[in-house]
Amino acid sequence: MKKYNYRIIITTAIAISFIGCDDNLTINPEQDITTEIAISSPSNLQKILNNAYGDARSSALYGGGIALASELIANDGDLYWDGTYVQPNQYDEKAILTDNSYVQSIWLRAYKISNQTNIVLDNLAVFTDTDDKNKAKGEAQFLRGLVYFDLGRLFSKPYVAGAVNSQLGVPIILEPVLNPAKITFPSRNTLEEVYNQVILDLKDAYTLLPESNSVYATKYSAAALLARVYLQKGDYINARAMANMAITTSGAALTGTFAKAFNNSENSTEDLFAWQVSSQDVSSNDNNVFWAGEDFGGRSGNPDISIEDQHFDIYDDTNDERNNFFYEADNICTTKWKNQYGNIPFLRLAEMILIRAEANFRSGTTVGRSPLDDINALRNRSGAAALNSVDLATILMERKRELAFEGFALFDAKRLQQNIGSLPFNADNLVLPIPLREMDVNKNLVQNPGYN
Amino acid sequence: MRINFNYFLSLLIVLFAQLTFAQESKMSGKVTDMGGLPIPGANITAKGTTNSTQTDFDGNFSITTKKGQILTVSFIGMKTVEIAASSSMVIKLGESSNDLETVFVVGFGTQSKKKLTDNIARVTAKDMENVPVANFQNAMVGKLAGVQITQINGKVEGGVKLRVRGVSSISSSQEPLYVLDGMPLINDNESGSAAPINPLISLNPNDIESVEILKDASSAAIYGARGTNGVVLITTKQGKAGKTKISLNTSAGWSEATNKMSWLNAAEYAELYTEASAYRYGADDLWLTEPGGVFDGYANGKDWRTGEVDTDWQNLALVKGSTQEHSFSISGGDSKTVFFLSGGYNNTEGIVRGNKMDRYSYRGNLDHKVSDKLRVGLNTSLSKTNIKRIGSDNSFATPLQGVAQTPLAPAYLDDGITPNNDTTLYYNFLMQQFNGNWDANIFRTLMNTYFEYKFVPELSFRTEIGYDNNNQTEEYFAGSLTESASTNGYADANAIQSDKYSINNYFNYNKTFKEDYKLDLVLGMSFEESARKRQYVAGTGFPSDDLQTVESASEITSGSSSRTKYNFLSYFGRATFSIMDKYLIKGSLRYDGSSRFGASNRYGTFPAASVGWIISQEDFLKDSNFVNLLKLRGSIGVTGNAGIGNFASLGLFNGSSYNKQSAINPSQLVNQDLKWEKTNQTDVGIDFGFLNNRVTGEIDYYVKKTNDLLLNEPLPGTSGWSSLTRNVGSLTNKGFEFVLNTTNIKNSSLSWKSSFNLATLDNKVTALPGGDIVAGQNIVRVGETISSFYIAEYAGVDPANGNALFYKNTLLPDGTLDKTTTKTYSEAQRIIAGNPYPNLMAGLTNTVTFKNFDFSLTFQGEWGASIYNEAGKFQSSNARYRDNQTKDQMDRWQNPGDITNVPQARWGRSNGEQASTRYLDKTDFVRLRNLSLGYTLPKTVTQKVSVDRLRVYLTGVNLLTFTNYNGYDPESSYDNNGDSNIEKGIAFYSAPPAKTIIVGLNIDL
Repeated sequence: MKKYNYRIIITTAIAISFIGCDDNLTINPEQDITTEIAISSPSNLQKILNNAYGDARSSALYGGGIALASELIANDGDLYWDGTYVQPNQYDEKAILTDNSYVQSIWLRAYKISNQTNIVLDNLAVFTDTDDKNKAKGEAQFLRGLVYFDLGRLFSKPYVAGAVNSQLGVPIILEPVLNPAKITFPSRNTLEEVYNQVILDLKDAYTLLPESNSVYATKYSAAALLARVYLQKGDYINARAMANMAITTSGAALTGTFAKAFNNSENSTEDLFAWQVSSQDVSSNDNNVFWAGEDFGGRSGNPDISIEDQHFDIYDDTNDERNNFFYEADNICTTKWKNQYGNIPFLRLAEMILIRAEANFRSGTTVGRSPLDDINALRNRSGAAALNSVDLATILMERKRELAFEGFALFDAKRLQQNIGSLPFNADNLVLPIPLREMDVNKNLVQNPGYN
Repeated sequence: MRINFNYFLSLLIVLFAQLTFAQESKMSGKVTDMGGLPIPGANITAKGTTNSTQTDFDGNFSITTKKGQILTVSFIGMKTVEIAASSSMVIKLGESSNDLETVFVVGFGTQSKKKLTDNIARVTAKDMENVPVANFQNAMVGKLAGVQITQINGKVEGGVKLRVRGVSSISSSQEPLYVLDGMPLINDNESGSAAPINPLISLNPNDIESVEILKDASSAAIYGARGTNGVVLITTKQGKAGKTKISLNTSAGWSEATNKMSWLNAAEYAELYTEASAYRYGADDLWLTEPGGVFDGYANGKDWRTGEVDTDWQNLALVKGSTQEHSFSISGGDSKTVFFLSGGYNNTEGIVRGNKMDRYSYRGNLDHKVSDKLRVGLNTSLSKTNIKRIGSDNSFATPLQGVAQTPLAPAYLDDGITPNNDTTLYYNFLMQQFNGNWDANIFRTLMNTYFEYKFVPELSFRTEIGYDNNNQTEEYFAGSLTESASTNGYADANAIQSDKYSINNYFNYNKTFKEDYKLDLVLGMSFEESARKRQYVAGTGFPSDDLQTVESASEITSGSSSRTKYNFLSYFGRATFSIMDKYLIKGSLRYDGSSRFGASNRYGTFPAASVGWIISQEDFLKDSNFVNLLKLRGSIGVTGNAGIGNFASLGLFNGSSYNKQSAINPSQLVNQDLKWEKTNQTDVGIDFGFLNNRVTGEIDYYVKKTNDLLLNEPLPGTSGWSSLTRNVGSLTNKGFEFVLNTTNIKNSSLSWKSSFNLATLDNKVTALPGGDIVAGQNIVRVGETISSFYIAEYAGVDPANGNALFYKNTLLPDGTLDKTTTKTYSEAQRIIAGNPYPNLMAGLTNTVTFKNFDFSLTFQGEWGASIYNEAGKFQSSNARYRDNQTKDQMDRWQNPGDITNVPQARWGRSNGEQASTRYLDKTDFVRLRNLSLGYTLPKTVTQKVSVDRLRVYLTGVNLLTFTNYNGYDPESSYDNNGDSNIEKGIAFYSAPPAKTIIVGLNIDL
């Protein structure tokens, strides 16, 4: 047999193999960038902000989650919950458990946005262009103010106008966490402190934001949101001022018909701010998922939330477009959320008109326009007969007709101190529980009354 | 006395010459098996020398040696025989089952069972061949002490959990390391849905010769960072020198669900829901039953009042399945080259409608001796697996969610073909098959090649290069009538290419000093790199239901591609030393580095040591007829777990979008201190063999402590983050293992053997600095078993008013729990109520051969585990929702004074359906896991047609299950969190496993 010189071959092989794979152990991710890179440039910070908008649009929050909580908790017979998911069912039954995962998602997602806005605000120094910097700061504060406003509304006892609101709010976090060492175990701030922070942020946003900013927050978005916040506080003077500002200077106009205000893939003329949904955002619109018939993207079983006869009592004119803004899919569905890829209107001019009308009426003023004219403007747009006079009740009824199913129900009931069924407006079970997982992790938190 | 010295000297020389001549004579013989068939390739060695030879084709050999020299005759799988050399020897070798000479694969080498100081469990092809299941893991159930093998549920491709000595990790992988012929295998679930696909489904169980499971630290530590969850060493079959053997196996069978549940029929449904509505809306409100009412709506034109419609949805979901398996192998070789070739086809039609699998597989193994010094080999296998998939347990489209539908709704429209999706409560799963398709194709290529070079008889070097490619494509289509109707159809395609290459290089030094001191050294390194790529695209809007690929989509709604990689670089060494075959000492060390860990903690060291004392070799026992083996052994060692994300230590942002503009999302918080999870394991054991080894067994006790747990520790959500992977906490597993093998009867016509194993498990979390981790109904809490159930305690029904009651269980000042009841659920505190892991497992296999018949049966039992039925709130909720109910709900409370466990039926009102022990049930079971009966035709008959062996057999799997469990089956659990480590023991519309009966034929040519 032929003699191979195996020893040389083998020795070489060994030598190569033992030294050949030195230091292959450093591998960098290909789908992620590191924190250092992420916070190092203006364009990356803007991308973090864009992500924060996306998180806000997620189904947990403004993609349907908050509206779902508000409408179902406030439901006293206008709506029929027919879905199988337990979490919304608990809302409807006013028997929310502390481990409700929708509640948990609202909490986690809101604080994730808070952290992202804090990251941006903490790294503004990388901006060289002042306009870009102001815009980023304004948008970050707009989003931060927005989520704390809703956290405060959902997780606290109602704000009492004119009083010292020392009831427990939510923890306010203004420092970014990009390192485990920065994690804190905060206690809850008072609701007063939460509102103060919200107003501070939104005022800054109003100052810093540009008048036009694509589909992102503008000066007028901030003004409109401030109007909403003041109204919730019962501060009608400021609510009136900000609503009037938004109406008169934004250039927004009511859409020609009521229908044109909804199910749009481009923002409508009356959107002061809307959440963007496209066909690339599958399942990001929970308004559609729960409120629409299955042929239009709703959950199968047609629809999880249908509209009951009782609701139709609020309409006073059969020609009112809003009275007919429904379709049938086994049961009655609202047409507001029919397009699964439609944008979600969030700050509509119509709301500002309603705020101005209510605030003017309460103050006995006619800043901008008289309450009657404001109300008739909305009625006229929807084809309802004009009213000859208005009082607070008719203004509030108009508000219901205009803003039904858009997530106002619970917050209006609390603001107006209206009972929900037999429950008083300040009942324990109309407040969301601090999520169980949060209570488990952070011993400094105090649970809301009525929850274990 | 005078002696002629010269004469004497010459005589002596002559004599010596003659003696020498006699010493070196040529001895010949033949080696056969007990039946007289020649064994080619058997080794014959003159004991104590290097003089050896092998048998030829016909089992003949000759060796030049002195008469009376002791010859050692050995052959793999046979008992080694020692015989004094003589001419014309006939040596019969018996099979070495139950034999202490059995050679175990131990990772970078082999070791005889007798000298093992480790705890290794083993099954061989023989143990598995009668269990006709599509994946090899299921074939081992009940045969390995301390190894729990559970299929998640009854889907054919479904995941299988193999847990060695309990669960040792909370957040990182709980899966063992699978190694095939020395090559670590890809074992990542690549399912496109939440329901896992068993990554090893593409292996043909018929190609496996043996599976060794390294359980203790002493054996597993040679795999260092990945040894904690045990190591499963799979060895594939190899040919034997001699006559080429052709084996054919063909079998076919039928299957059905192990169990079905009882559901309300139409009349009962109408009765219960009418009553539930009456509670809420008053008995006068006939909205359900009036003409044109809700029930008429469900019935879709049929008359539910007369029983015209009464749909049994369960029977539409759980169907009769079937299996077919056809395989062949050709093996053989000569003294230099051996080979094994095999091909197989498996077709399994699942017991859940629409679920099936086809697998085509090929394997070729080749081993060649280039010279006395150099050996090379190549093992390759290819397989293609096609799976028709169904939805995960948490989808309306999955068949078993059909049980939620009302029996008042017809399954099909009047044409009898089109599924009725108009009046069902939920999406009709039948539509998915009618108007959709979901295919997974898995292509798996395994290759490993080796070179082994012997420098000198004592020193050899081996290189192994392995390559594993797992290529999976899933294509999903849902047409215009399905849940995707609103978008006019939906399709996606998901492709994954995973590949792994590994290189092992190691030296083996084997030397006996002064006869009594034997040293075996292994020293080497290995490098391994794993890469994964994925491409995904989804689209909506299809012009026709016949056009089912994304190409026809009018809009692409989603798409992505990604790449990732990780690697390991390791150095290892092992020394085994034995003195007088009595005292055994072993030590090993592995040094592992991985790209997964932060630069400061990249490497880990994993040492292990073990000792053994073979008491039966001591003089006082050596000659005992009763005791054949008595060995004490003990081991201690450290293993690791690196089963975490590839970049878990880095602070990361990933890409996302909003408003069709790019965005970056904070996805992971940095943790540079991240390091290996380490497990210290101690094991003491006894191996014994009595009565001529007719009774053998092992007893072990182990304590396995895992520290620096890689834990996804929950963070305060206020930080903007929900969890962080940290090294915190520790847990302990400990238990006894007992194995007993007996030969009860053994004579020429009848043999009866039993094999019994039993294992206890005590799992406790011992430290958790961040406090409890609660996920769903499970909790991780110090002092409790991992994943214990944490729920409110159901207290039955208030006889006065039909309210569901719960125990308050608030802590009283004296430290006890308040056992008063409440109807207000939020007043009831959660308690620990059992856990999903059995604390006692046992298996018993009996094998009987009588003349030409063979019979075997395996029982398997598990005690101490519970399952929580997450769907109970819908299925058994006294008509809370509209879902059909289990039959026991007819026992609901109706009138004051009724004593029952089912609360009053209340439409749309909570009354006891909240998470509580009401839906928790013990799963203790004993199962006739496997039974088989075979008959081998007499050789005299078969040899006439040139057939060596012809066997017909009947075999069954899961034939009988004895349990008080109320759900489908102890092996039906929720696959939507199949990969979650904490949420365990949950059932949710989960399919039971199959009960299968098969007839088959083995032919050896």
